[in-house]
Amino acid sequence: MTAYIIRRLLATIPVMIVVAVFVFFLLRLAPGDPAAIIAGEDATAEAIAAVRAKLGLDRPVLEQFVLWLSGLAHGDFGVSIFSNLPVTHLIAQRIEPTLALTVSTLIVAVSLAIPMGVVAAWKARGLVDRAVMAFAVMGFALPVFLVGYVLIFIFAIQLGWLPVQGYSPIREGFLPFLASLVLPSMALGTAYVALIARITRASMLEVLSQDYIRTANSKGLTTRRVLMLHALKNASVPIVTVIGIGIALLISGVVITETVFNIPGLGRLTVDAVLKRDYPIVQGLIIVFAGAKVLVNLLIDISYAFLDPRIRY
Amino acid sequence: MTAIADDAVPALRLARFGEAIRRNPTILIGAVLLAGLVTIAVFAPWISGDPFRLSPVNRLRPPSERWWFGTDRFGRDVFALTIHGARVSLIVGLSVALISSAIGLAIGLVCGYFRWVDAVVMRVMDGLMAIPSILLAIALITLTRPGLGIVIVAIIIPEVPRVSRVVRSVALSIRSQPYIESAVAGGTRSGKLLVRHILPNTVAPLIVQGTYVCASAMLIEAGLSFLGAGVPPEIPSWGNIIAQGRTFFQIAPWSILIPGAFLAITVLAVNMLGDGLRDRLDPRLARRM
Amino acid sequence: MNNVLEIRDLATHFFTRDGVVRAVDGVSFDLASGETLGIVGESGCGKSVTALSILRLISPETGRIVSGSIRFDGRELTTLSDEEMRSIRGHQISMIFQEPMTSLNPVLTVGTQIAENIVRHRNLSWSAALDRAHEMLDLVKISDSRRRLDEYPHQLSGGMRQRVMIAIALSCNPRVLIADEPTTALDVTIQAQILGLMLELKEKLGTAIIMITHDLGVIAETTQRVVVMYAGHKVEEAPVEELFARAMHPYTRGLLRAIPRTDADAELAGRRRRLQEIPGIVPALTRPITGCPFAPRCAFVAARCRAERPPLEEPEAGHTVACWEMRRVLEAAA
Repeated sequence: MTAYIIRRLLATIPVMIVVAVFVFFLLRLAPGDPAAIIAGEDATAEAIAAVRAKLGLDRPVLEQFVLWLSGLAHGDFGVSIFSNLPVTHLIAQRIEPTLALTVSTLIVAVSLAIPMGVVAAWKARGLVDRAVMAFAVMGFALPVFLVGYVLIFIFAIQLGWLPVQGYSPIREGFLPFLASLVLPSMALGTAYVALIARITRASMLEVLSQDYIRTANSKGLTTRRVLMLHALKNASVPIVTVIGIGIALLISGVVITETVFNIPGLGRLTVDAVLKRDYPIVQGLIIVFAGAKVLVNLLIDISYAFLDPRIRY
Repeated sequence: MTAIADDAVPALRLARFGEAIRRNPTILIGAVLLAGLVTIAVFAPWISGDPFRLSPVNRLRPPSERWWFGTDRFGRDVFALTIHGARVSLIVGLSVALISSAIGLAIGLVCGYFRWVDAVVMRVMDGLMAIPSILLAIALITLTRPGLGIVIVAIIIPEVPRVSRVVRSVALSIRSQPYIESAVAGGTRSGKLLVRHILPNTVAPLIVQGTYVCASAMLIEAGLSFLGAGVPPEIPSWGNIIAQGRTFFQIAPWSILIPGAFLAITVLAVNMLGDGLRDRLDPRLARRM
Repeated sequence: MNNVLEIRDLATHFFTRDGVVRAVDGVSFDLASGETLGIVGESGCGKSVTALSILRLISPETGRIVSGSIRFDGRELTTLSDEEMRSIRGHQISMIFQEPMTSLNPVLTVGTQIAENIVRHRNLSWSAALDRAHEMLDLVKISDSRRRLDEYPHQLSGGMRQRVMIAIALSCNPRVLIADEPTTALDVTIQAQILGLMLELKEKLGTAIIMITHDLGVIAETTQRVVVMYAGHKVEEAPVEELFARAMHPYTRGLLRAIPRTDADAELAGRRRRLQEIPGIVPALTRPITGCPFAPRCAFVAARCRAERPPLEEPEAGHTVACWEMRRVLEAAA
């Protein structure tokens, strides 16, 4: 078991290396002079040179890479071109809303989607099944911002039940904190719920046709136990896999959701940085997001060993 | 292996294909919707007026007889904007799908067949896939001058790893078949094996994955434009229109909701097409995807 | 001796795109307390469906019991609610299946799969149930039973898995054990062990067994009475020695003749012949059959056989046959 975990851990290293290399060379591979592009269309020669110095582009490539990597290892992600603040500082400032949003969406989405999928599979071809499938197909096509604006329109503008936008930090009260997260989570989570529900249903359907389910039924176990333990545990590997894949959806969606709902998190930071072409921040954020995704996938890989004993041995 | 006339098989497949489409409503609905949208997009300049005609005196009008979808903050006809926006989305979706399929096919075939290439290239693909696609596209766009072509390239790059994975898994499973092993031992050239045996089996999953890539590309492009990091504002894209509708959303929701609905329907149509094709071409694909 | 199971005119149909499949179409038999009854017939004759019908395990989307009665200890099973059936399954009537490789849940330990049955029906605590599970593993002669409790099915061999299935099935001391081809998927030496185990346990616990198989060897070794099924109908029923000595239905005779014989004496006595097979194939069950279902393949077929279905008659005590030509069949055999 521990061997398995260690192996999975080690497997993440080459991936992160590729990410780091890619991010590093991205800047230098772009056509044209990156410093010029970042400095802007009507920048003066001095401004461009200043940017170049700031980004360390005037030094040999290998030296830059090593410097940058060692910086990363020490938690130094560089300095913002425009604000002169360390990137890590900026990220730390904005991370709470993004974490709150992603975690709450994850929890809500999984708690809704899995039961939906289980019931749909159990009563296959029935009313619930058709409804879940319809939702799964449509939900995946709805862009995050559309859902967001529709929700805002109905619940915030017309009904006035929830705030139109903004984020209320948790230390300013738990209820306003929750209220500010409801609509964004729903918008962000729709596609996610659709995806998970769909895979849950498909996986459960396959499992329910297996012989061991017939055995479980022949033992007279309660339907609940047959579904939730005997069936679901066997169906869980693809479901958990898709939860991991969906994290990518969540991360991409966070950027848009924070823009729609005006939440001051990492997503907004990304957009602002991109528009100002503050490349160090974009660089740092890519590494953080990629790292988060890799971490989640690692956790999911490890969970396989707990869910399916055949993977351990 | 070539006992059944080689030329009979494609004809059979085509006939079955046609019948399958007729029987399966999902494909039909998706295809019809898509056909409608494509027609509208292609004939956009003739159907609607000039999307850029500013008319400040008529700004923020609700949908009416004269302006079917209302007007935006600059007094532009939202109907015209939406229809022209369809062109951008469809162009982006289609080109990304086609190009990334082609590249992904090449990479997937090579990786699935030559093991030493596989080890290296797949690591790189894994790394690319670790970066969320919008961020990757954003990062690429940050570094270059904005333009439709750049957006397309920026979206292709995160989509290629996904396609190549699918092709690779098909190639791997066929590569391990005994009859391929014996063909290799018998000296058959790799190129011939790839083209005659592995390639035909990748066509179905590739088409299906291609539709998903198309849908994903349209969503990413819209997202990018919405954030202001996509196609430049001179080109009407659904994302752009929505972004511009933000300020006055509360009093003029139609300039966001309507293009948004169009995007959703288009993506839905493409997804339905993909699902329907997948169910028909090979039900076993459903598990692989 | 009273009957623990009484089945009358059971009919189970499946509703498919190609029509109604009459898998079981009017089958009746009794199972006495502590008896071992064999149900024999080729694939598709309806024996498994009969078993599944008793426990009402036919999935409602595909088929259902359309008529007939199944009485368990006097209680009518066909009208019970799903809840009531669930308390009978695994408890009063248990079942084991053909494929031990896939019939156990791969992600749950052996101990869990036995203990949960006990917890469900006997209301014991989990640790008490695990102790009992341990006892059951010893009862089915699995070595190193303490360790096996925490192991997973994929760590056990086919024979051991079937022993576990038996342990599960007998864990709550059921009155009836239905065994659907329990040894077909195992190799011959293991087969003998498993069958021996089942008979031993039956003696100990007094369980009645319904042994479903296509293998007449298994029938000969384990059963006391036999029901022969063909195309969803019962065609013959007799005590096992009587069946082997004086079968009266052409189909049964065909089955018996098809057993390969390896004794050299038979050749000497001039009795060994070429391996006789039954010509033809089983009829499609999607159309109602007029006349005797075996008529198209029968060597003794007469005009009446094709027109009218023969009723079950009892020419000798305890021996029922459904054949118009049973006299001719007996004469031919003598």
